[in-house]
Amino acid sequence: MADVRDILDLERPPTPEITKETILGNDKLKRKPIAPKVSKRPEGMHREVFALLYTDNKDAPPVFPTDTGQGYKQMKAKLGMRKVRPWKWMPFTNPARTDGAVFYHWRRVADEGKEYPFAKFNKQVPVPTYTDSEYVQLHIDGWSRAETDHLFDLCRRFDLRFIVVHDRWDRTRFQSRSVEDLKERYYNACSILARMRAPPGQEPKMYVFDADHERRRKEQLRRLFERTPEQVEEEQTLLSELRKIEARKKEREKKQQDLQKLITAADSQADPRRPDKKVNKKKLPHQVRPRNDSSNSVETAGIKFPDFKNSGVSVRSQRMKLPASVGQKKIKAIETMLTELGVELMPMPTEEICQHFNELRSDMVLLYELKQALATCDYDLQTLRHQYEALNPGKTLVMPGSISGGNVDEGPSSTQDTEPVRQRVVSEIIDVVGSPGTPSGS
Amino acid sequence: MSAGMLYGGDEIGALVFDVGHYSLRVGYAQEDTPKAEIPAVVGILEEAAPLPSSIKADSMEVDDKKSDMTPSNAKNKYYIDTNYLHVARRGMEVTSYMKDGMIEDWDLFEKVLDYTYAKCIQSKSVFHPVLMSEAPWNVRQKREKLTELMFEKYEVPAFFLVKNAVLAAFANGRATGIVVDSGATHTSAVPVQDGFVLSQAIVKSPLGGDYITMQCKNFLQQESEIEIVPPYMIGAKEAVKEREKARWTQKKNLPEVTQSWHNYMTKKVVQDFQASVLQVCETPYDEKTVSSIPTVHYEFPNGYHQDFGSERFLIPEALFDPSVVPMRAGMVGNTMLGVGHIVTTSVGMCDVDVRPSLYGSVVVTGGNSFLQGFPERLNRDLSVRIPSSMRLKLISANGCAERRFGAWIGGSILASIGTFQQMWISSQEYKEGGKGQVERKCP
Repeated sequence: MADVRDILDLERPPTPEITKETILGNDKLKRKPIAPKVSKRPEGMHREVFALLYTDNKDAPPVFPTDTGQGYKQMKAKLGMRKVRPWKWMPFTNPARTDGAVFYHWRRVADEGKEYPFAKFNKQVPVPTYTDSEYVQLHIDGWSRAETDHLFDLCRRFDLRFIVVHDRWDRTRFQSRSVEDLKERYYNACSILARMRAPPGQEPKMYVFDADHERRRKEQLRRLFERTPEQVEEEQTLLSELRKIEARKKEREKKQQDLQKLITAADSQADPRRPDKKVNKKKLPHQVRPRNDSSNSVETAGIKFPDFKNSGVSVRSQRMKLPASVGQKKIKAIETMLTELGVELMPMPTEEICQHFNELRSDMVLLYELKQALATCDYDLQTLRHQYEALNPGKTLVMPGSISGGNVDEGPSSTQDTEPVRQRVVSEIIDVVGSPGTPSGS
Repeated sequence: MSAGMLYGGDEIGALVFDVGHYSLRVGYAQEDTPKAEIPAVVGILEEAAPLPSSIKADSMEVDDKKSDMTPSNAKNKYYIDTNYLHVARRGMEVTSYMKDGMIEDWDLFEKVLDYTYAKCIQSKSVFHPVLMSEAPWNVRQKREKLTELMFEKYEVPAFFLVKNAVLAAFANGRATGIVVDSGATHTSAVPVQDGFVLSQAIVKSPLGGDYITMQCKNFLQQESEIEIVPPYMIGAKEAVKEREKARWTQKKNLPEVTQSWHNYMTKKVVQDFQASVLQVCETPYDEKTVSSIPTVHYEFPNGYHQDFGSERFLIPEALFDPSVVPMRAGMVGNTMLGVGHIVTTSVGMCDVDVRPSLYGSVVVTGGNSFLQGFPERLNRDLSVRIPSSMRLKLISANGCAERRFGAWIGGSILASIGTFQQMWISSQEYKEGGKGQVERKCP
């Protein structure tokens, strides 16, 4: 280690190293070795050479073997470094006892007279007591004074272990009661007492025991416990059936989603980013589409949230999760729109909010898609205009206001022949997106 | 107890007595096995019978002059502990001081305690607080009587009574669990919650070690017509072939022993047979599967020997399925509960909330549970009975001493815990509060 430090040019820390003295426990010789003044290695001198010059004691290495040091004379290491601490059989009283009984035990002489160390573990559960006048307030029908006293006594004896209290309940003197009855009575009485004793104007902390809830819970547990093997088996088969059905449903949904993806993929290929390919490619989805339109009950432009009819429990916020079919871009778009509108990204998922939030996002996606479609159309229009202008130099194409993106001037159309084609393109693209609200194309 | 570190034990020289139907276990708290195990039977010899002086000299005699006995039986000699009990003596009757898991004959019990202090502990009772075990169904009157006896006669500095089921649970490191104790006279299931016995839900059946011994005896003597000869009668024997009649000669000048002592000695032989031969089937008894298991060879003290096959499974099967045993010797088999049934019944009587924790630690203890395969079979029986959602864990100490002396070890642990030292009923408290203290202090 010292060598490593040396190589790394680190100062040697002044911490005491493990030497023979510390192991052998020669307390007398424990004086710290005077830290040698480590002189800095001169620049350019090799480390090894310097180490030869400046060994730990800075003195020359012995030329002759010596035996003046302690060496190995002291053969045995003294491991118990301290003096023997004697033990003594001595009497003690336990402060946790009320009677001051004296017992005897072994203890170190040094500890004689100290308090019994285990007394501090004597923890007691505070069980309130009540006076005769206070009991008037506690009285309820069905519980006599003696019975209440018995209950409090048992609670004190068994530290509120109600199961044990119930077990030791004096059934010869009092009627048999359930654990919940006992708890209810005890906690009610305690809260009444606490309220009575609390300083005016201050509401004491109280433990509220919902006995009915407990009873229902116990009953349910008991029924669960007492199911016959046949019942358990039946439940198992039902569950496995349910799982099968769900798996089938999921598969169907997945197929549906795949189909939809295929359709959108086909349509996005019709995306007019590559204008030269567009024209001929567009024919293909055109032929496919009628089939798509006939099943218009499925397609919605927004997000299709999966049904949550799973068995078992689920968190309602799960319903707000976007399905996997929604792409990253759309998610981003939704998020920006939501932040623009000042809507939380994850609102509190109440039933109503869930529904509205999902509808909102669905509409947002629709809006987003429409906007994109519009942008595409605009782009189309622009390219076509440029083509037109290139083909007919000197002429400018004037768009009619109804189909232009909005910023085109209002001049009358001079090219009547191209217009229906473009109109169809626009409606087609909107239709591909497939919102039921948009009118179907020609 | 060095600074900063508190060791949980604090030993105050307490004695632990575990009173069982088969034997009384005695020893110092904090030790891992009892100092002595004394049979729960006492040999009584009435002084009226002439006694050879040689026996008198070496036998253990509880000096009657010291104890304040009624004059009618002041002349009786009592023979306590195996060494004295197993000597053939003329006219010595053997009786047990226990009944139904509780102390019945207080005079005899006192004799045993006297003997214990004198011979096993070899120290005065005034120096040692005493922790005693009791049956979970012990009655108030007996508990008070015991408390009175310990404080008045033995002047113990402190006394405490704990249910043996609680101690057995402690010995296995549990404060909550159901303790299945298969002892000599009965098998019981005792639910323990936080170190308290739920007394309302105790279920017990008289199918214990003694019942199995009786079944064995019936089987050997009546069905197989094997003569059971206790070793004390045998003077010499010769090696014979298997199933051949034993050739042995009776010891000369045997004293005229009583029937009860002879029965006691015979029972010892059967108990040995029981321990070495019997095995509990892992699945419910089935003639076919059992016949494929190798037989076990056993030689009786008189030299007779043979192999035992299916019967070694059939006899202990009565513990788990009493209906397989035909009405034999007047014992009605099928009205009793098997061990598995005992446990489920007991748990079924407890609050729903504690049931999982009870099934989570089923503590098996008691000498009879040493029948080979007992815990495995119980585990199987329970796992088919309880809902699969419930976690079942069977705890049985593997060591011989740990399971036989389960309750004693628990007592040894308890009495040497530092925080327990405040629980004792001290002699001061006894003087102030009287024997009624025990009901309040030792729940």
